Amino acid sequence: MINFTINGQNVTALKGESILQAARKAGFYIPTMCYLEKTTPCASCRLCVVETDKTDGFILSCQTPPTEGLSVTIDSDRLKAERTNIMRLYDVNHPLECGVCDKSGACDLQNKTLEFGISAQHFSAKDQHRKIEHWGLINYDPSLCILCEKCVHVCNEIIGDDAIELQFGGYKSSVIPKNSDTLDCTFCGECIAVCPVGALVSSQFQYSANAWELSKIPATCVHCSAGCSLMYEVRHTSNSLGAKDKIYRVTNDFEHTTLCGAGRFGFDFSSEGSKDGEEFAKAIDAIKNADAIRFSSLITNEEAMILQTLKEKLGFKLYNEEARAYQNFMNAFGSISGKIGFGGSLDAIKQSDGIIVLGGRVSSDNPAVRYAMTTAARHNGAKVVYMHPMEDELLQNVVTQFVKYEVGTEEGVIAMLAKTLLETADLSEESRAYFDGLDEGYLCAESNVGDEEYARIAKTFARAKRKTLVIGSDVLTHKRSANIARLCAMIETYSEFAVVVVPTSVNTVGVSLICDLDTDNGGERVVGYNASGTYTIGSLGGVNLGLAPLNSQEGTFVSLNYQVLPTNVAVSYEGYTLNDLASSLGVVAENTIDYTAKLPKEKGFNGSVFDELGNFYSALGEDQRGYLLENRDVRADGKLEEIDDLPEFNGTVVYRCNPVNQFNGYTAQAQQLEKEAVLSGSAQFAAAAKISDGDKIRLEFPQSTQERIFKLDPVLKGTIALVPAYDVGFGGLNEQYRFEKVKIMRVGSES
Amino acid sequence: MSKVYFSTWRGEQINNIGKNEDAWENSAYNLPLEYNEHASSKAFIGWDGVALFNPDVDVVRLATEYAAQYQVYSEACGRCAPGRWGGRILYDLLDKIARGEGSVSDMDHLKEVSKTMQETSKCEIGKTVPNPLLDLMTHFESEFMACIENQKPSKHYHLQDTSYIAKITAPCMDACPAHVDIPAYIEGVRDLRFDDSLMATRQTMPLAHTCGRVCPHPCETECRRTNLDEPISIMELKRLGADYETDHGFGFFHPSEKKAPVGKKVAVIGAGPAGLTGAYYLALDGIDVDVYEELPVLGGEVAVGVPEYRMPIDKYNQDIEAVRSLGVNFITNTKVTADMMRQFENDYDAVLVATGTRISKKVYCDNERSEIQGYWGAIDFLDKVNLQVKYDIMVNEADQKRHMLPSDFVDLSGKTLVCVGGGFTSMDVVRCAIRANAAKVVMLYRRDEATIIKNTTYEEYHEAVEEGVEFIFHSAVAAIKDENNVLKSLVIDRFELVPDPNGGRPTLEKIEGASFEMECDYLIPAVSQSADLKLLPEEWEIERTSWATIKTNGKDYMTSRKGIFAAGDCEYGPMTIVNAVGQAKRAASVISRYVQSGEITLSDEEIMEDHLRKLKVYNKKEKIKGWLPGLPRQHSEVLTVDERKDNNREVKYGFTQEEALSEAERCMRCYYIAMIAH
Repeated sequence: MINFTINGQNVTALKGESILQAARKAGFYIPTMCYLEKTTPCASCRLCVVETDKTDGFILSCQTPPTEGLSVTIDSDRLKAERTNIMRLYDVNHPLECGVCDKSGACDLQNKTLEFGISAQHFSAKDQHRKIEHWGLINYDPSLCILCEKCVHVCNEIIGDDAIELQFGGYKSSVIPKNSDTLDCTFCGECIAVCPVGALVSSQFQYSANAWELSKIPATCVHCSAGCSLMYEVRHTSNSLGAKDKIYRVTNDFEHTTLCGAGRFGFDFSSEGSKDGEEFAKAIDAIKNADAIRFSSLITNEEAMILQTLKEKLGFKLYNEEARAYQNFMNAFGSISGKIGFGGSLDAIKQSDGIIVLGGRVSSDNPAVRYAMTTAARHNGAKVVYMHPMEDELLQNVVTQFVKYEVGTEEGVIAMLAKTLLETADLSEESRAYFDGLDEGYLCAESNVGDEEYARIAKTFARAKRKTLVIGSDVLTHKRSANIARLCAMIETYSEFAVVVVPTSVNTVGVSLICDLDTDNGGERVVGYNASGTYTIGSLGGVNLGLAPLNSQEGTFVSLNYQVLPTNVAVSYEGYTLNDLASSLGVVAENTIDYTAKLPKEKGFNGSVFDELGNFYSALGEDQRGYLLENRDVRADGKLEEIDDLPEFNGTVVYRCNPVNQFNGYTAQAQQLEKEAVLSGSAQFAAAAKISDGDKIRLEFPQSTQERIFKLDPVLKGTIALVPAYDVGFGGLNEQYRFEKVKIMRVGSES
Repeated sequence: MSKVYFSTWRGEQINNIGKNEDAWENSAYNLPLEYNEHASSKAFIGWDGVALFNPDVDVVRLATEYAAQYQVYSEACGRCAPGRWGGRILYDLLDKIARGEGSVSDMDHLKEVSKTMQETSKCEIGKTVPNPLLDLMTHFESEFMACIENQKPSKHYHLQDTSYIAKITAPCMDACPAHVDIPAYIEGVRDLRFDDSLMATRQTMPLAHTCGRVCPHPCETECRRTNLDEPISIMELKRLGADYETDHGFGFFHPSEKKAPVGKKVAVIGAGPAGLTGAYYLALDGIDVDVYEELPVLGGEVAVGVPEYRMPIDKYNQDIEAVRSLGVNFITNTKVTADMMRQFENDYDAVLVATGTRISKKVYCDNERSEIQGYWGAIDFLDKVNLQVKYDIMVNEADQKRHMLPSDFVDLSGKTLVCVGGGFTSMDVVRCAIRANAAKVVMLYRRDEATIIKNTTYEEYHEAVEEGVEFIFHSAVAAIKDENNVLKSLVIDRFELVPDPNGGRPTLEKIEGASFEMECDYLIPAVSQSADLKLLPEEWEIERTSWATIKTNGKDYMTSRKGIFAAGDCEYGPMTIVNAVGQAKRAASVISRYVQSGEITLSDEEIMEDHLRKLKVYNKKEKIKGWLPGLPRQHSEVLTVDERKDNNREVKYGFTQEEALSEAERCMRCYYIAMIAH
């Protein structure tokens, strides 16, 4: 703790905090144009200069930590004069196109120009011609750019794409794609979010609406289990009376949160609904007579509660294989750890200086996990071990050790990993005997991960202080998932590692806590809610009865952080909701959100009513969204099982994995997101499968067949190809083990 | 000391305007009066003032050109609002005045923008560019006003009679013999752009892992932050970029793309730091390079001299692989002879000799005979230790016998080892001896503790003491005693510093009667090394220095024989890695031009580099503005004595990211721009 004063008032700063951070916490205002709380200081705008009693001249408050007893002045006339001059410089030749600029009304330059009372161009310099760049979803206008470098910092430090850089050139400086002619990145659009002016804009949104006409609806992203905070920005579509509202864009509180491309650009999945009484009656009948309801985790807690209540009343079964897999995994985990949930979180990953990721392709499964890893790697120098059958190029600048294991051998790998990490742990004799008794030779040979790789992991993490083990969704559907879960729980319980298990869907966790799920044995009469069935309801594809999509619903989700997150109606839906169906079936509530307070307390829900839930970050970045579930104790009576024979996956193997920014039936509809649903594989895969780039191929899975185009991906290595799942049926990725043996043949070549 | 027409350099006020040249005053500084052998300078302008050497200088144009250079040297600017726009405005307004279109208000605006730049710019370049401009506007106001009032161009505005040559520098860059762009690589760390950091280093220094560990960092002695509190830990910050490249398995981040082959071939003799550096920059320029190395391993003294615990070989190999990745051809186990050199002269377009100094000098005592068993030169001792530790190359039987070793590696169990030295090599000897399990290790040094620290580093000395090395200061070996050519004991004299009654430097004088005898098994002379130059054909009559090293002019590194160049210790005498790197980088640049044009030339950049070093960029008297003092220098953690003294684990952990970032934030980006008009 460092004590100092600002304008004579006592202020304290934590170790590592800058004068600016301490000032903001204490409620002082120091102007900035380039400061972004979540990155290292860009230090380019120089507006945050302050004076102190120990320095000659001004110092930069954003990158200077205070010293004990320092006396800081933040608003002298001298400071004001120089800050005003800086603003005058910023305004030199800045195009006067505020009338049409996307940023107008929400522009830092505009605001600061007004704040400093710059009413005319005081200095002059020769103007220059600047070419506007069109980078797909993003446009860049260098003449509007003030070179604050926020975009560059966020792209490198938080996202990890490292796709843009500053081209140094004094007055001619600009932002350019790094090592590429055009922007080659994952199109998260975070650069647009952080741009303080209208230099980086969404190409689709550009010139379509004024910032001040848009209503901001705070909501939760529905595309993956991270449950990121976002704002749907909504406006009616014309001046005529009764015009429909439309989502124009999605924005985020970029100072404190980060959004991926799916969240930012995949918002247009709202559908028009109407009330068709006849179909409604059919739906009621279908549910009444259903053997089971099959549903996806694209569902709110409240709707899940409705389904559970209906199940209890009507006696049908509830199918959700994806959530059931997670439920089983976490039950087994809890049988060792004695807790409902795991100990880690996205924040824990961000704070880590050592991370192990096992069993998932996090860069596309859950971008928030990737961003947290990038943050840890850059800011903390975290060592990152990535264990998976396939290397991931997007993680190269994060991963420090890639450990490749054979498909299907996860149980053996995690057992060896646990043994490595628990080498010096205080284990019971029984547990110690269990690990001592592992057949290392067999496990290493079959998984193809040598002793030396575990030894390197042990060495790497010897000095790490904050460690996280990220478990991907591959293992949730592994046939040995329960024992894998127990081994993971051993690591969390007996080492310094916190575990994060990455669920697949936005509300996998919520469903797993709320619903009593049955094994999906099919049935003659199955109602599918955003899932397949003999009668289907929902908001995806050609269902029999349309219901409100998630951006037209109020309700809550439970994120992978075990946080209950509210979402709101962006655009109203004129048709029916699940609550309408339930009410007709005798499970009556006025609104779906009446169930929020009734969510099961024994699972950690706290009984809050929906309208009490916050959905924002405070100015200082405190998370005020919903609440964290209480991590309740459960019986810790689990026992480690012997490691099963490790399976072999010979022949042609594909991995169900969506391309970046694709997740589900909602993103599949999004007009701005790329939808190249191809089988992509390496040259080695192509040679083994005897196919070439552009071939139309047929994939024969044990239970189904797909036709796809094969695309040769020069970045991929090895013998496993990636097959997307978001565009198949209702877009389920994780109903079964993600690797699968398939037969591949060229269409037209069978004869 | 030189006569100048006008100077405000470093605060001096010399104004000989209107005076006859004979009556001009002298400047106190080494100002570059001669640009090179072909041209006299007309003016020098820089961060700390301006000097005119000629009354005919067009000061308005000079100011305009200086502002223009600030625009040109974009690599160091464009990163803050005041510098970016302010710099442009300075240039636009000055040029407007110089071409005869200015107004009085332009002068006011110039002053106003200058002040904002001086107060708020990100780096010193933005803060200091206005300094000499304001000097000129003050002292030569009439010339500026003449342009404005008459709406006429300045006197030389339309003449192309003057060249303006500028260079970016910084005190640390100037002090670094390799002139590494230190602020840029530190900025890369601060901005978490580690690839950029490494590329900045590799512009002039290919051995980033190595010089992130074992550089004696002369830059830190001339770090401007010293004037405020403590110098930046410059050296260690270099490791972050190198580690980033290695940890993530990226290829190699070279500072530029390798040029297309130019069809020229150069032989480099010696694969130490100088040879590797020369090869690296020659290869980058598209020249084919064969490197000949006498030892079975690459890396020279850093490989076989510097111990593993200071410089892990896997890290050094990364640096070597970066060189190899450019297509450099290494030929090991090949000692180049005079005959081979004669052949090379025909086979190659140029030869760079970088053979170092690998002969241990004598301590000059009685009975000092190389055939005495136990008398073991430091270089050979370290070779034997390091070849085994780093490469598993064991000591052969003959050498085992010669050095009385019980087995095929250097095992000193139960033995007493005395080393005479005081520099880095002797520190390596005694600390390796501790790790070789010697019973007793003694270092004899003629001078005192403070001097040994000055000659090495504080850490190095204290770590050796902690590990159990016994230091006897003010001592020297007077005689060796042997039995049948086996070392038995040493007679050691003691000295004291006697002040000079006339106020001169104190002298070391032997204390009569204080000599004593010490039994020991080994005496390792590590006082200095000399060069083995037998490879130079006698008939070439290549000139030597008085220290028996190869003579060059210290600028282009060509020997007295055309096409034969020399760099590193064989040229300079035993010196630092970074010195060898700096020389070899320069030599490679000269060779590259030579093999393509046949001319020996220096680039303007290199000429300016030498001028600035002579002038000295760092000013230890300067008072620092705009930075808060009292932010402590970070120190990375080291292994405890018990963790390290019986093994070869790297002693320093290196910075944690947190330490590195707070250290990088202390860097004040002291870039400056200097310009000569000639």
